Amino acid sequence: MKKILSFMLIALLALGLVGCQSSTPASTEGTTTEGTTTEDTTSTTIHVYTRDSSSGTREAFEGAIGLEEGALTSSASEVSSNGDMATRVGSDASGIGYTSLTTDFEANNIKPLSFEGVEASSETVLDGSYQMQRPFNYVTRAAGDYSSDDLEQLVAAFIAYITESTEGLTVIEENGGIVSFENARPWSEVAQDYPVLNQDNSSLTIRTGGSTSVEKVIRAALESFQPLAGNVQFAMNQSGSSDGHLRTLGSEKDGANAVEIGFASRPFNAEEDVTSAMASGSFCLDAVVAVVNAENTLENITAAQLHDIYAGTLTDFTEVE
Amino acid sequence: MVIDKNKVKRNKSWDKFFRYFFMAMALLSSSFIVIIILFVCSKGISPFLPNYEYGQVDFISFLTGTVYRQDQGIYGVGFIVINTILSAFLALLIAFPISVLTALFIAKIAPKKLGAIMQNVVELLASVPSIVYGVFAAGVITEIVKYLASLFGYSTFGGSSLLAVIMLLAIMIFPTLTSLSITAIRSVDPSLEHASLALGATETQTNFKVVLTTAKSGIFAGAILGLGRAYGEATAVAMVAGNKLFGPTFNPFDITRTLTSTMLAGLKETTGLDYDIRFSVGLVLIVIIFVSNFILNFVKKRIGNTV
Repeated sequence: MKKILSFMLIALLALGLVGCQSSTPASTEGTTTEGTTTEDTTSTTIHVYTRDSSSGTREAFEGAIGLEEGALTSSASEVSSNGDMATRVGSDASGIGYTSLTTDFEANNIKPLSFEGVEASSETVLDGSYQMQRPFNYVTRAAGDYSSDDLEQLVAAFIAYITESTEGLTVIEENGGIVSFENARPWSEVAQDYPVLNQDNSSLTIRTGGSTSVEKVIRAALESFQPLAGNVQFAMNQSGSSDGHLRTLGSEKDGANAVEIGFASRPFNAEEDVTSAMASGSFCLDAVVAVVNAENTLENITAAQLHDIYAGTLTDFTEVE
Repeated sequence: MVIDKNKVKRNKSWDKFFRYFFMAMALLSSSFIVIIILFVCSKGISPFLPNYEYGQVDFISFLTGTVYRQDQGIYGVGFIVINTILSAFLALLIAFPISVLTALFIAKIAPKKLGAIMQNVVELLASVPSIVYGVFAAGVITEIVKYLASLFGYSTFGGSSLLAVIMLLAIMIFPTLTSLSITAIRSVDPSLEHASLALGATETQTNFKVVLTTAKSGIFAGAILGLGRAYGEATAVAMVAGNKLFGPTFNPFDITRTLTSTMLAGLKETTGLDYDIRFSVGLVLIVIIFVSNFILNFVKKRIGNTV
């Protein structure tokens, strides 16, 4: 037993030493750019990065490139967030991924690709020429279907805040939404239509539900709306676009999960009839951008190419040109 | 001295009170474990029951599956279990000799002052939060792996790989293992060493053949704790694992997926089956930890008995 033990110990030691040796030279040179450039020339095999499947950005991206659910190549690497995606692609010379338009591309060492020849910017998204985009839509309960008139007024005021007022639009823009200021009016002007704003509303709660992708924007909007609206309370329960209609006008509108405003990060479909709503529409646009490492020479990509890359049939950057 | 009977009585009743008080505390803390396990079990088992609301999942294919994809509705953790065990054990394999030799140096060979300083350093390392190790791994270890991979002509996913996970875990379990080894080595009876030296053994012979063999039970306890940490580490591992969709991964430069990184990815954004199944994954992790602790304890006893 002793002999076996000592033999094991020696084996372990040897392994440990090998581990030490191989990592020491790397620690001094690994950080230089030399390592990455040699790697760049030896291999152009595409590394596909994707978000986990609960991500709204992934949903938007796969929708835009026409990738059916479940058709994604199995050799993809799943990342946990938008920032994670940017970091990973930024440190992988042969990586490709997708992020929201608000990402700081330069700081992350990544390069946004033009989609179908159109560069992504808030102008090209607003005029519709950049196609990898989606609307953030809202729908409210039907008029008269609120627990009190004051609450109905407050919901209407909030919708006006995020769609008409300069202040509301600014908050949305700061949090990543793409909006047009063309018809914006100052809040002081908009607020005049809603006398309910001047009373103490701290006993009332606006509940929101639906898409998780809108959460960041809407939370910021609600937080900035709160002091303007007599300290009205809010409760967010975002669970997915399909619940947006369901919990305001659909079968769950009187259930425990009922909400005043529902959101969808896609257009409402034929089964989701929003005509009975007090208000419904789109309050901002969101764009997804395909990104590659800054060292990559690629500038433009098409939906078909992205589809093939993400489906695993196109595996080399040299074939993409 | 006069014995005050009342005082004795009072002291006795205080004793009694505290005995029950301590027992209540022990019951409270142990009931937490029961509550947690019951909660995880009830959530984690539910997807395999016939009347599960999002559609029953086949238990056998869940345990043996080699694909984990929510978009296809396929949840197989078989390969993730292999990945997890592989990365944890390889990390232990690297950390074990380094830790034991470090402990030997600190406890026996180093001058008193240097030993004390080094022990403090090791203890400091043990208290560094895992997210800090994660940031270090994402920034430094991935670069090292990238460089190593380019030497072998591989191209990695930006350094995220099985090797990066192993290196990270080895660094993370090193302080635990070392601290416990130091304690074990210090508690070796000095007369044993003196006897060995008096019989003509050299110091090195004594250290390896007497000190380490006597302390091995304690060292093994450290290995068990270290392995537990390697299994359970989520945040830092998720930062360098890369979350592969199928497996198992045996190529050290390929991305991998562990049980913890699976549970963590997108946890806050998801609902339904994809949310509940994470509890099942957690349950699998708990079982693995129990089983490997049991096996290691068994090995520890066997080794302990042979000397």
